Amino acid sequence: MVWPFSQSDLFRWLHAALVTLIVLFIAVPVAVTAVMSFNDASLIRFPIRAWSLRWYLDFFSSSQWTQALRNSLEIAAYTTLVSTVFGTIAAYAFTRLRFPLKGAFYFLVMLPLFMPGIVLGLGIAIAFGGVELFGLQLYGGKALVVVAHCLWAMPLTFMVMEATFKTFDERLVEAAYDLGGGPVRTFFEVTLPMVSTGVISGALFSFVISLNEFVMALFLTTRDTQTLPVLMWLSLRSAGTPRLAVAAVVLAAAVFLSLVLVMLWYARHVRKLR
Amino acid sequence: MSPALELVHLSKRFGGVVAVDDVSFSVAQGEFLTLLGPSGSGKTTTQRLIGGFEQPDSGEIRIKGQRVDRLPPYRRDTATVFQSGALFPHKTVAENIAFGLRMRGVPAGEIGPRLKRALEVVRLGGFEDRYPAQLSGGQKQRVALARALVVEPAIVLFDEPLSALDLSLRLQLRGEIKGLHEELGFTAIYVTHDQSEAMAMSDRVAVMNAGRIEQIDRPENIFNRPANEFVYVFIGESCCLPLTVNGALRAPDGRPIDLSLARPLPEGAHRLYVRPKQLRIGSEAEVCENRILGRITFFEYLGDVYRYHVDVGGVGLFVDHAGMAPFGPGDQVLLGWSSRDMTVFQ
Repeated sequence: MVWPFSQSDLFRWLHAALVTLIVLFIAVPVAVTAVMSFNDASLIRFPIRAWSLRWYLDFFSSSQWTQALRNSLEIAAYTTLVSTVFGTIAAYAFTRLRFPLKGAFYFLVMLPLFMPGIVLGLGIAIAFGGVELFGLQLYGGKALVVVAHCLWAMPLTFMVMEATFKTFDERLVEAAYDLGGGPVRTFFEVTLPMVSTGVISGALFSFVISLNEFVMALFLTTRDTQTLPVLMWLSLRSAGTPRLAVAAVVLAAAVFLSLVLVMLWYARHVRKLR
Repeated sequence: MSPALELVHLSKRFGGVVAVDDVSFSVAQGEFLTLLGPSGSGKTTTQRLIGGFEQPDSGEIRIKGQRVDRLPPYRRDTATVFQSGALFPHKTVAENIAFGLRMRGVPAGEIGPRLKRALEVVRLGGFEDRYPAQLSGGQKQRVALARALVVEPAIVLFDEPLSALDLSLRLQLRGEIKGLHEELGFTAIYVTHDQSEAMAMSDRVAVMNAGRIEQIDRPENIFNRPANEFVYVFIGESCCLPLTVNGALRAPDGRPIDLSLARPLPEGAHRLYVRPKQLRIGSEAEVCENRILGRITFFEYLGDVYRYHVDVGGVGLFVDHAGMAPFGPGDQVLLGWSSRDMTVFQ
């Protein structure tokens, strides 16, 4: 028998098949969920007999679900702010200063990233369970969730920023000093714009990590402060309506939107520097 | 009036290495002084000390009589044209040039006209809105020049600003900087390892070596009256003939030779130097006061001259001869030079 394809053809076909499989593997769960969110029935189940936007209406008119979405976004926003600011400052210090036990500090900063969420969540819940600050119960509040999420987000922004600062040309700082710019103005006028790619990437990581995080939020939120993933989990246990699929689509859309925004910004930024 | 810049017994070491070793000089208002030396000679460190990017271990720096050596760079009235340009890549040409004006608190109404004038001075009108990535190497250095000059600093520091450019552009910009110096009269400290640049641009040249100033003088004197062997060898090309005085004056191979010296050399090892342009070969050498026999190893065509490489008792000398001489490799030839053109160091 004569083999009808050459070897390079075979490899090309295998390559295409593999890529297709990977794409399917990634896309199918999301696509199925997205399809399910348009199901008119009361149960998450195939086949879909009628299509409607019923569960979208339901989701956005439910104060419980919109509140959870708002909590998620709010916590993600604060996590982004805190971890980006502190991650950047810490990375700046790490690249510019020399101090004893630097390696140990680096390890400490990065450590939480590798800790299971359940360990951190439980630890924070135990540690801050009964702590009051200015008469406010810390436990159950959004602030504590922000702190918890920063444990993961900050090492990430730190890592990104440390790599970014290493590529930063110190001579630009000298040039700015030389022209009369003090350290603070130089930081905001020269250093920060030069590392903005890293800042934005780090911020995106933080935002997405916080938005996606579930275990720590489960440990640390109450009915009033619960995030969207937490509410989804709890409602899955009581009633598996397509509203869950809508919530999943909303969550995925939020992540996707932030990605698109960052890529648009990045495309504009790069055009300027090339 | 106090000088624009004074360095007084300035020293700086990095670990065990002395980068700047007891350097003192002063620069007059409007003067163009070049620090010239090989890499590692301390010229760049000296300039960084003036700019405030390094702290001296000892000594003083004064700008217009005011001590500045403990001030950070942003409080010193200096502006640097960096080797790489060091333009801010995220700022336009206009923003780059205006940066120093804004940082120094120049009123907003004044910035526009000064920016416009600076762009005219470096002939970059119309480039205001370009980003550095959109400029050629020469244009970038012009922006760097404008950015430094526009703040009208007491001292303009040039840190090998042309070394990254190709030759023709280097010569062109060299002329432009010199012209601007004549026109605007700023005080300049220029660091370079390129001696032709130093000679062409400077009012005075300070030749540096191992952290010290070997000679500081007008370019003509640096070239024609070098203070010591280092300066002689570093500036221009030279041929070196090692000599020994051991009862009699002897060439490298031990043959006695006869030089017409003003006074006899003391016992010991000496080095005799002559510039290749001042060495004569063949019949032209016969009339010279000093002569020595050698053998041609090879010759090169250098465009304006032929360079004959001659082996003299195991030592390689080279003679620049206008036009081709009637010799080839292996020929024995006579070399000669005038006593006025030779320098002997012990």
